[in-house]
Amino acid sequence: MSGAVFPIATLASSLLVAALIFLLPERAWWARTSLNLGASLIKLGLVGWMVWGLHRGLDYAVEFPVVAGVSFVLRADALGIMFAGLSSLLWLFTTLYAIGYLEDSPNRKRFFGFFSLCVASTLGISLAGNLFTFLIFYEMLTLSTYPLVVHRGTPKALAAGAVYLRYTLSGGLALLLGVVALHVIAGDIHFGEREVLADLGAEWHPLLVSIFVLMILGLGVKTALVPLHGWLPKAMVAPAPVSALLHAVAVVKAGAFGIVRLVYDVYGIELSYQLGLMHGLVAIAAVTIIYGSLRALAQQELKARLAFSTVSQVSYIVLGVGLFGPLATVAALSHLLHQGLMKVTLFFCAGNYAEELGIHRIDELDGAGWRMPLTSFAFTVGALGMIGLPPTVGFISKWYLGVGSIEAGMPWLLAVLVTSSLLNAAYFLPILHRLWFRVGPAHGYGDWPDERRLGRMETSGWLLWPTLATAAFSLLAGLLASMPFSPLEWAARVASQEYVL
Amino acid sequence: MSNLLFPSVIIVAMLWPFGLAMRVPVRGWLSSSGRSRVWLDGWWCTAPLPALALLLPWSEPSLTLSWWLLGGVWSLDDPRRSLLALTVLLWGLAGLYARGYLASEQHRQEAGDDNAARRLQRFALFWPLCLAGNLLLIVAEDIASFYLGFSTMTFAAYALVVHAGTRDAQTGGLAYLVMAVLGEGMILAGLLWAAGSAETTMLDELREGLVEAEQGVWMAALLWLGFGVKAGVVGLHVWLPLAHPVAPTPASAVLSGVMIKAGLLGWLMTLPLGHADPGEAFVMLGRVMSVAGLAAAFGAAVYGACQSHPKAVLAYSSVSQMGMLTALVAMGLIVPEQWPALLAAVVLFACHHGLTKGTLFLGVGISEHPPRMPSWLLWALLLLPGLSLSGVLGSGLASKWGYKTVLYDADHKDLVLWLSLAAVGTTLLMARALWCQWRAARQASHDDPVALTGAMPVAWLGTLLAAASLPWWLPMGRPDWPPLGELVGLWWPAALGVVLAVSIGLMARQHLHEVIKKLPPGDLWWPLMRGYQAVAGRVARGVSRLGASVAAVVRRLQALERWLVDGLGVLARGEQWLGRHGAVLMMASALLLAIIMLVAP
Repeated sequence: MSGAVFPIATLASSLLVAALIFLLPERAWWARTSLNLGASLIKLGLVGWMVWGLHRGLDYAVEFPVVAGVSFVLRADALGIMFAGLSSLLWLFTTLYAIGYLEDSPNRKRFFGFFSLCVASTLGISLAGNLFTFLIFYEMLTLSTYPLVVHRGTPKALAAGAVYLRYTLSGGLALLLGVVALHVIAGDIHFGEREVLADLGAEWHPLLVSIFVLMILGLGVKTALVPLHGWLPKAMVAPAPVSALLHAVAVVKAGAFGIVRLVYDVYGIELSYQLGLMHGLVAIAAVTIIYGSLRALAQQELKARLAFSTVSQVSYIVLGVGLFGPLATVAALSHLLHQGLMKVTLFFCAGNYAEELGIHRIDELDGAGWRMPLTSFAFTVGALGMIGLPPTVGFISKWYLGVGSIEAGMPWLLAVLVTSSLLNAAYFLPILHRLWFRVGPAHGYGDWPDERRLGRMETSGWLLWPTLATAAFSLLAGLLASMPFSPLEWAARVASQEYVL
Repeated sequence: MSNLLFPSVIIVAMLWPFGLAMRVPVRGWLSSSGRSRVWLDGWWCTAPLPALALLLPWSEPSLTLSWWLLGGVWSLDDPRRSLLALTVLLWGLAGLYARGYLASEQHRQEAGDDNAARRLQRFALFWPLCLAGNLLLIVAEDIASFYLGFSTMTFAAYALVVHAGTRDAQTGGLAYLVMAVLGEGMILAGLLWAAGSAETTMLDELREGLVEAEQGVWMAALLWLGFGVKAGVVGLHVWLPLAHPVAPTPASAVLSGVMIKAGLLGWLMTLPLGHADPGEAFVMLGRVMSVAGLAAAFGAAVYGACQSHPKAVLAYSSVSQMGMLTALVAMGLIVPEQWPALLAAVVLFACHHGLTKGTLFLGVGISEHPPRMPSWLLWALLLLPGLSLSGVLGSGLASKWGYKTVLYDADHKDLVLWLSLAAVGTTLLMARALWCQWRAARQASHDDPVALTGAMPVAWLGTLLAAASLPWWLPMGRPDWPPLGELVGLWWPAALGVVLAVSIGLMARQHLHEVIKKLPPGDLWWPLMRGYQAVAGRVARGVSRLGASVAAVVRRLQALERWLVDGLGVLARGEQWLGRHGAVLMMASALLLAIIMLVAP
């Protein structure tokens, strides 16, 4: 019985909070903040408990029919709990950060309400047990992030929001068509019932391929696969915590997670491989990785550079999914977490520079390391991770991807990976050089664009501590990658299930 | 009990310099104003000391860290213990030297110069960090630790290169960083490829796997070139002569003495040297390596002899010496059965070059700030390491005899001849470096000689002593001394070099000036840079055009969408019109039907 309670309670913890926040008055800062933090701590506890339970072999699932033949399924399996763990961990930090970031700004009630809804949708996506449930939360995520993207209400933000909706709604439509088509062919497929499609027989294969392509188109919008990535760099007009969430957990990761589910738990690796679908994924991912890095190199604005870097980095996950072999799977799944930790850190830092010093452009960062050493340290960790240097988590991802591509018999992918590393170095090292080695306002030359003293330390503690915490996680998860319950170890556990079964 | 002793010693040895590095930001954080703060204090100098304990003859020098990165194994064997000894000694003495060398910056900090304070702080942070990376890469047996140590050392050394912050330092730093990143890329590709096909995370299994893998020789080539950036393989060496002259002298000493040996260690750890049957392809790779090595040995000697900055000359000499080492390492692929003996010779050569070159670099600073001692003694002491490097005496003679005997046993007399000719070049370079130092010292007037007990002279004399006594304390490759009859065969290159140097100096002095002006340090860097700038502009334009064309496609799609929406509007308007005129239309069509029916028969 208790197995059913946990997924529902986890989901409810943020749904209820969203409802309560909308009911509270705008000025109720204390009530809202304690609700937010309390709920995120409770959720983290629940997810942690489920992780421990899964480790002991327990099962957490709840299922009830909606109409005949379609049921609503929540199930915490090893893969889902991985994503749930990431989102609840990063939600805690992003909430803390957002509280500090939005200090004294209007419409905070609306913001935190939709923020909670957004996290609820992400959790729903991670715990969904079949395509129908997945689709519901996937669409809910689109709708709940729109108000966050346009939060500022400026013409630029509204335009970005319009672009965002166009892309994601059409993607959602494609996904919907795919889900319905699969339902017609094979009925209600629960995640993990890989034999359903595999048993269909060869005459269905052309249809299965077209459905797969359709669904990848739908999921590829959120994953920001080239050429469906156009919304992502525009959406960076959103406030920093939203960008952080969008890039690290919520939207792009929901897409990537969807691709993981589709390949591993609906089609199954064997079938996807037989149908030749994996090669297509590898090709798209390779193109996206290089293209995103090249575009990032040309950006002069910090957040824009980070946004294109996300385009590139998220496709590492797709690349890992597309390679046949357990090591590549480990790479894909662990990078799901690793990229989240690193990117959230980088966006937090970008937000800190913007809030404390008014810095938006890269050439304004000269010497900022001496003014904001802790933030810049966190940025350095994130950037080195993106390049893939040890001991950060980025190295672990890159290692497994590289070894996985050898295992899959595609050594040419190493060239893609190394080129991407070099390009990452080419656009991150100059930033690090500016931070630490150039002289700037901190040395008495010129002024910061818009300096505010937000706290006794280099900036407000609300902004600083979450940044440091995520940076520490991305360092420790790499340094101690072989510890039990590290992202890598958990990814290996999931991968072994995918390949043994 | 002793099972726990080695692990704790090795962990302390790794963590101690790291902790000392971390002390700097913590101290800076605790109080932001501290003009009288001494960043390079006594504690700071102790960074490499705990690693000395690793040199003891441990019975089981290995530590397994199952939770670390991809699973860590740290251990030591004789070649690595020798390199560790070199590392600890040179880093320690150069650190001591740095205290004296940077004393003027300390004075400036106390006088209120914030930039000097920041420079010192950065130096104090990155020096031990770089050392920590260097120590880790020596003890690492697993790939991840090795790569961690290597890249930590590489990137931390950037801060040492650009220390002065001048324009030249920026150029040197850029060259260093660009080449280092390229090297890291090749190393990463080689390691991933090799480790992936051998399915391992350990270096020894990777070595074995290279021979068995189908494309093993390409993996090996990537690793050779990747580590070759550090070791100054010809073509990839351009950062050395640009970075060495601009770095602070103690940093140049460790760069040239120890850090480029990390490239050598990379080869020793990853290439299947001495493997019983490496296959034809590897023999071919060995030939390529030895040709490249000899090309570096000669090219760098000629080009370096035309430099005017003593540190640039010494940097080219390092390229030249590493070229000779490359040729010797390549023999491990060509005549694997001789490898055990050759390895000892290579390690001896590497350690000899490391310490001697370190002494020479430190000597440049000494000739700039001469200590209180008779001029003839000073110059005699400055001359000694040069003679040793030329192979006339001391460790140079021993190491030359070491590889010569092995090569004679392996029946590769031609290589001995080539290496002897390269030693002529070395002598030329030493003569040139000393001449440049001599001239610089004569032009500058020194009214305030440094006390002989100061940090700089003590450290310099220490390295001199260590280099001279090397054959007696080195854990591996303790050499036999050549019999007297062989001395002629060993000395002629140096004698020829001296004759050559003197005659060139006397005869072509005027022309030499013209030549020198045309040959800037960094040789290939400058044309490469110009080529890059031409290409990069075009690529950047191409990428932005690509972005623009993508945007154009999006715009066209949007136009299509607008057109569709407009089309919907037309339909809606049509519907409205239909609604408004429905009655009339109905009447008209009824009338039309009636007429048709009437007319029809």
